[in-house]
Amino acid sequence: MSRLVTLSVGAVAALAIAGCEPGAKVSTQTGFRGAGLNQINDVSNIKAAVAIPAEAYPLPPDGGPTAGQTYQNVQVLRNVSTERFNHLMAQMNLWVVPANAPAEQAGCNYCHNPANMASDEKYTKVVARRMLQMTQNINSRWSSHVKQTGVTCYTCHRGNAVPAAVWARADNTSADPDTIRGNKRGQNTPDPNVGYASLPSDVFGPYFAGQAADEIRVASARALPSPDHAVSIKTAEASYGLMMHLSSALGVNCTYCHNSQSFRAWNLSTAQRATAYYGIRMVRDTNQSYIESLTSVFPAYRKGPHGDPYKVNCTTCHQGVSKPLGGVSMIAQAPALRGPGGAPAPAEAGPNAGAAVPAAFNQPGTLTGRNEPAPIPGRQ
Amino acid sequence: MLRYQNVFTQVQLRGPIENGPAIRTGSFVRGRSAHFNYWAGKLGAAQIGPIYLGKLGLASLVCAFLAFEIIGLNMWASVNWDPIQFVRQLPWLALEPPGPEWGFTPFVPLAQGGWWQMAGFFMTAALLLWWLRTFRRARALGLGNHVAWAFGAGIFLILTLGFIRPLLMGSWAEAVPFGIFPHLDWTAAFSIRYGNLFYNPFHCLSIVFLYGSTLLFAMHGATVLATARYGAERELEQITDRGTAFERGMLFWRWTMGFNATAESIHRWAWWFAILCPITGGIGILLTGTVVDNWYLWAVINQFAADYPSTGVLDPAALPGGAL
Amino acid sequence: MRRGARRSGGGVMALLSFERKYRVRGGTLIGGDLFDFWVGPFYVGFFGVTTAIAASLGTALIFYGAAVQGTFNPWLINIAPPDISYGLSLAPLKQGGLWQIITVCAIIAFCSWALRQVEISRKLGMGYHVPFAYSFAIFAYVSLVVIRPWLLGAWGFGFPYGIFSHLDWVSNTGYQYLHFHYNPAHMLAVSFFFVTGGALAFHGALVLSAANPPKGEYVKTPEYEDAFFRDTIGYSIGTLGIHRLGLFLALSAGFWSAICIIISGPFWTRGWPEWWTWWLNLPIWS
Repeated sequence: MSRLVTLSVGAVAALAIAGCEPGAKVSTQTGFRGAGLNQINDVSNIKAAVAIPAEAYPLPPDGGPTAGQTYQNVQVLRNVSTERFNHLMAQMNLWVVPANAPAEQAGCNYCHNPANMASDEKYTKVVARRMLQMTQNINSRWSSHVKQTGVTCYTCHRGNAVPAAVWARADNTSADPDTIRGNKRGQNTPDPNVGYASLPSDVFGPYFAGQAADEIRVASARALPSPDHAVSIKTAEASYGLMMHLSSALGVNCTYCHNSQSFRAWNLSTAQRATAYYGIRMVRDTNQSYIESLTSVFPAYRKGPHGDPYKVNCTTCHQGVSKPLGGVSMIAQAPALRGPGGAPAPAEAGPNAGAAVPAAFNQPGTLTGRNEPAPIPGRQ
Repeated sequence: MLRYQNVFTQVQLRGPIENGPAIRTGSFVRGRSAHFNYWAGKLGAAQIGPIYLGKLGLASLVCAFLAFEIIGLNMWASVNWDPIQFVRQLPWLALEPPGPEWGFTPFVPLAQGGWWQMAGFFMTAALLLWWLRTFRRARALGLGNHVAWAFGAGIFLILTLGFIRPLLMGSWAEAVPFGIFPHLDWTAAFSIRYGNLFYNPFHCLSIVFLYGSTLLFAMHGATVLATARYGAERELEQITDRGTAFERGMLFWRWTMGFNATAESIHRWAWWFAILCPITGGIGILLTGTVVDNWYLWAVINQFAADYPSTGVLDPAALPGGAL
Repeated sequence: MRRGARRSGGGVMALLSFERKYRVRGGTLIGGDLFDFWVGPFYVGFFGVTTAIAASLGTALIFYGAAVQGTFNPWLINIAPPDISYGLSLAPLKQGGLWQIITVCAIIAFCSWALRQVEISRKLGMGYHVPFAYSFAIFAYVSLVVIRPWLLGAWGFGFPYGIFSHLDWVSNTGYQYLHFHYNPAHMLAVSFFFVTGGALAFHGALVLSAANPPKGEYVKTPEYEDAFFRDTIGYSIGTLGIHRLGLFLALSAGFWSAICIIISGPFWTRGWPEWWTWWLNLPIWS
């Protein structure tokens, strides 16, 4: 009898320990002390820094004839110098083309017909042109999100033709509403997209390709009810699901951006929340204005089960860390990607957004209350 | 040194089955089957049964069974009747109420929330029938109705969540889904939607009574066990004819915290604390969305919201350049 | 009896009608007869003295902290722990040090209270069930302000002393794990809390219904209590059993609460819904 008890206790304990992270932890405080605003990470979960690939060869100086003068059918990069244009082509080769492609697709042949480099006969060249425009758009118009770090092809592609984390329209969104068979009404499934909660799991369609980004805020701006704030609990669940995606894409928890005393209050939120505000809209713009326009260009095997091209979400760039590539900027390897004019537009989001991001994070003492003396130097 | 602490019964007595006092009213007869269970006897009474299965009881069990089946079969259908996925995904599965587009329509198409309405109806019927049963059984034995009223407080909370508040809000979609994880998602989403329920004062009260009930039962249970050697568990006799058991128990608390209850009044403390938890909780639920839309902002207006230094971040949607 | 005459230990305040015979010397753990007396209805004892000192000091420090903060509004007083950058060391008073000292006072006061309960139990010839139960509450408090912060390496992980500010700590700490309801130990604790409330309601109701029958009825006996529950649900746990069950349910609620917060952070850092992937990925169906 006692052996049976011992065995069952041991089995239960083993099971419990199996789902356990007993290792060393590293913690950061992201707000006022004692408010529970912390990031606690198990050391073994912290992703190793991604190796930044070296340039194909050093960036040539600017100047000389432009690519538009030297080559034919150059539409986006015509004003870039030929030397830098060639350098960018070599970088794109490094960043996107798979290393083990067969001969007719290896290297430049992935996009070009070697007998006629100007030809657009391969779909990959048309896609790449659109991608160049998309990247320039992100780095200029959306510098509110990518700041001066910027993105390059490598940020998403990481040496793959198709980025590792992409999405297409999912099956559960087209279920017949008049049957209960196989119809979970878009939720109640252990879906990793929503962190395995049973929340509505179609987060990408509505928020990153549709108009629902305007409905993320669900709490009212007023204490008392009013007819122009009619928002259901279902919408709150959908927003919650989106936030679960953000959390796993960035490897952070809710308190990285919010103080749950009031999720909606901006004067309680960190500057990262403003950055994320722009990030969501940047993803939507990228999907709607650039990737959707390639629907007729991509072959069927490069599209999802419902015929829409694979699109971007937060994981595509971030891949589980709060700053893609650990915050290392690669834009110096491809200055032509900065934008049509070359120079980045100034950041938006208020006087505090740009500077406050590192400051608030590295010095939580700056958020100490007004009755407190200044924090002890060296304690930050 | 180890002493016996009266946690488990060491020596169990077996006598004749206790049939109990005669029932005065009731269309059925008390069941005849009862037996002894050794393991039950380790903790409490060893006798299992007899049960009184009356009309109300049977009707209630039928309704409960129907509700259970509707919920379970809907869940199973949602995984395409796959038995393995049913077990694997069971904690995530749900029977959802109608969507917001249906408002408070009484008869929604089955697949779009009608099954939820039916399950809710049968569950409510089962609870109300059982509630009447507790009335009847007490009356049949000449007891007071305290159990029925206690049970009623719990039913009030369930009906508030699933029916009364959706009625006031004009939307079935506000109701709680059936499902283990899904009803937890509802709870979190409810707090997110209504501006942080910790600032709802009735939520505060409900928690006070919940923790208070736990505190009280720990205190009362421990006190009785500590004086069981004097017969403290014979509470009715201690009420009508106070003995050294409750004298010591009362003095324990008087000397510890300066005041004490009596054998009867401790059960009044218990009853009120326990039923005030669902009652204040239900009131808090009813006020949410109907009278107050954002509890944090309501707390700010009434000057009891905790104050943290501003982070200085501005709403991008309010900046020039506006919502993008 | 001469006016003002006292027997062993009695104070000036009136005793309960049966109380005098129980006011005997003995049962103390420390101090012998030195503190073995009553003040009004309160028993003192050595641990009554330590409780009084620690509790008074802690309360005074809370008032001092409120004065520093600038408000005596009971809803808004907030004594916050230090920044986690101070690690496990003592912080300056106004930067969380006050919180640390108040916590030490609280632990001394709570443990003294439990030991005083032991002394009173001994004096009254009772079992130690009450201080045993109370130590679960102390364990829950200590796990929040000592055990978990120690495991995470900073006192700043403790909760602030303030009515609404401690709720913000609860809310934010929960959201660190994205959806705290999915914490399995939290599920156990919540279930035990609700069942305890239900069981308490029914136990109180049952006793009252037997002792307060309808007009014209006699007060009933335990046979009627048993009959009610056997008729209704087929089983009656009995007068002794319900107290064992109630104590077990209540202590389980507190115990699993303490466990649920100790594992959050020191033993699990991701979202709690993600913990359930061990079930989803069991070899039998994946």
